[in-house]
Amino acid sequence: MNNIGTVIKFTFLNKVRSKSFLISTLVFAIIISIGVHIPFFIKMFSGDSEAKLIGYVVQNEQEAAFANQLEQYTNYDGSSIALKKYELPAGSNADQFGTKLVTDGDVRGYIIFSEFDNNGIPAVTYKSEALGDYTTVSQLEQTIQIIKQQNIIASSGLSNDIIEQLSAPVVVNSLQISFGSEEGLSEDERGINMWIIYGLIIVLFMGIMISGQTIAAEVTAEKSSRVMEVLVTSVSPLASMFGKITGMFLLVVTQLVTYIAVVIINVSLPHNNEILSGLNINFSALDPFVLIYGLIYFFAGFFLFSVLYAALGSIVSRTEDLGQAVMPMTIISLAGFYIAMFSIATPESTLVTVSSYIPFVSPFVMLLRIGLTNIATWEILVSLAILFVTIYVCVAISARIYRTGVLMYGKRPSLKELYKAMKAYK
Amino acid sequence: MKRLVLQNVFKQYADKVAVNGISFEVEQGEIYGLLGANGAGKTTTMRMILGLIYHDKGSILYNGQTYSKALLNDFGYLPEERGLYPKIKVGEQLNYLAQLKGMKASDADKEIKYWLERFGVPENYNKKVEELSKGNQQKIQFVSAIVHRPTYIIMDEAFSGLDPVNVELLKETVKELRDNGSTIVFSTHRMEHVEELCKNISILHKSNQVVKGNLKEIRNQFPKEKVFLATAGQVTGIEAINGVEHVKQNENGLEIKISKEKAAKDILQHAISQTEVTHFEIKAPTLNEIFIRTVGENNE
Repeated sequence: MNNIGTVIKFTFLNKVRSKSFLISTLVFAIIISIGVHIPFFIKMFSGDSEAKLIGYVVQNEQEAAFANQLEQYTNYDGSSIALKKYELPAGSNADQFGTKLVTDGDVRGYIIFSEFDNNGIPAVTYKSEALGDYTTVSQLEQTIQIIKQQNIIASSGLSNDIIEQLSAPVVVNSLQISFGSEEGLSEDERGINMWIIYGLIIVLFMGIMISGQTIAAEVTAEKSSRVMEVLVTSVSPLASMFGKITGMFLLVVTQLVTYIAVVIINVSLPHNNEILSGLNINFSALDPFVLIYGLIYFFAGFFLFSVLYAALGSIVSRTEDLGQAVMPMTIISLAGFYIAMFSIATPESTLVTVSSYIPFVSPFVMLLRIGLTNIATWEILVSLAILFVTIYVCVAISARIYRTGVLMYGKRPSLKELYKAMKAYK
Repeated sequence: MKRLVLQNVFKQYADKVAVNGISFEVEQGEIYGLLGANGAGKTTTMRMILGLIYHDKGSILYNGQTYSKALLNDFGYLPEERGLYPKIKVGEQLNYLAQLKGMKASDADKEIKYWLERFGVPENYNKKVEELSKGNQQKIQFVSAIVHRPTYIIMDEAFSGLDPVNVELLKETVKELRDNGSTIVFSTHRMEHVEELCKNISILHKSNQVVKGNLKEIRNQFPKEKVFLATAGQVTGIEAINGVEHVKQNENGLEIKISKEKAAKDILQHAISQTEVTHFEIKAPTLNEIFIRTVGENNE
């Protein structure tokens, strides 16, 4: 119908040009940009590109040998600490010289070696200005521990072969079991799916909450400003309801596209590109079906919640009463959101399986099963079928409530009054 | 064929009867007056005509046809309370409402500008409704009801909140719409507007249609009970005439209440026999009086 188009356009344009929309979109875009930059900031501020310089002096052969060994283990590329040997000037002791190096800013700290034990390991003291430099201390401890093990193994007379075998790392590979002929989801795929699903669930929840509330508020506002009386003489209530929902949907999509564009722009900035590629996010591992099903559930969930929000909005006459009226919807969407969020680590639990068939909750929860477990196609179809039937029923009921509700003024009608009024419509 | 025919239309809300069998007919180019106290069922009747609520019994025919969605574009509705988006610019929302009525955006824009100009408020085009005074909002509301030149115009309290100059302006417009062939149903509390605009009226009282018909005929049904008499000299003994109930001395003459019309003639003869009569009038009851009488009587 031509009128739906007019309603969609009006709803969309008025919202998209409103100050609140522009501001909230801008604020969110800034937050997203900052979020994408977090790895960059971490790198920038931690300054871990440069290793911490630690000075030492040797006063005898034994110390020199140990220091040499230590240096081999610490001064590799990308290490967070680097040892540097200094010659002790004549006439000063090691401690005084070390302190001077630190105060001059040549090094961050220095090491003093003292008595050696039976395994050729000295007691090591690390001195620096910062008392709680635990990372440096623990790195030194680990390194010295390795040297100690090496020394003991070497002195025990084991062959190099055996030493090599001992130190060969153990690898556990994890692969999902598949029931079909295809291979199960690999770690990589699960990883990327998890991100996508996190994203979709959050987006769905936000989309439903924000636009649902807005739709309900719009309907109530039209009712309380009595413009509804003029509207219903021009356009059928169904057309006005669906026009409004579609307009809001387009708005949400616009907002999402903006955010995705912001993410893409930020990610492709040269200084971020390098760091993010290090995080091992491989978009080619993304299963397109997850995205397609995700979008189907997103549309269905959005539509289901929106029609009910519109119906609830049509019952109340004043904006003050709206919060109370939409409370049930808020609780249901919160329930779906939290079940999905808290079950993301256990996508095979009974809770997830059961709730993936329950409409209202399934748009949130089914995504987990599709993305993170190996689910049979019929299960998805059954869940979708239940969801679509529910949508059909809810649309039929909502349309009636809406048609009746928009002309009912005064106190919020009870269920009985509403039922009677709906019956009067036939 | 009559443009709009209501026959025995009945509407019940839950356990309360809102409209109890109303019937009337409106022709093309006619303004029909619906009168009644608050809560008498005027708005419900109008909403049934507009198809917003369905009637339980009876029939409403538009050019002989029952209601269909195709009629939506032929309706223009001016609700009793202001029904506009407070935060949206006048031009924009009038255009939106006009487009919903099937107008093209560019045509609508031209029409809107014409009407705003005509009502002397072209500067409101770019203002938000909430910035306007109540009277100016009413003008905008009025434009929204007529901009698409509807066949049926339903006006609930069209002139409320307007100053006399603007009432005159809108009244002229309503007359013009009537002359252009619109069928108008009109409700008001202001009897003088009805007397000026409407040929036929109905008076509703507590959901019942208590008076219906041609305004002149209705007037004639009610006995003429007032005589106005102005004379050059003093007239005495009027109280003694058979049928005179009450005599009141006014600034300009005597206001005499009579119980039967024959008394008027006697009064005139009585006055002429005493002095020169400068003014004599048998007054038909005003609509106001008819209204108060019918509604008041039924109140008891």
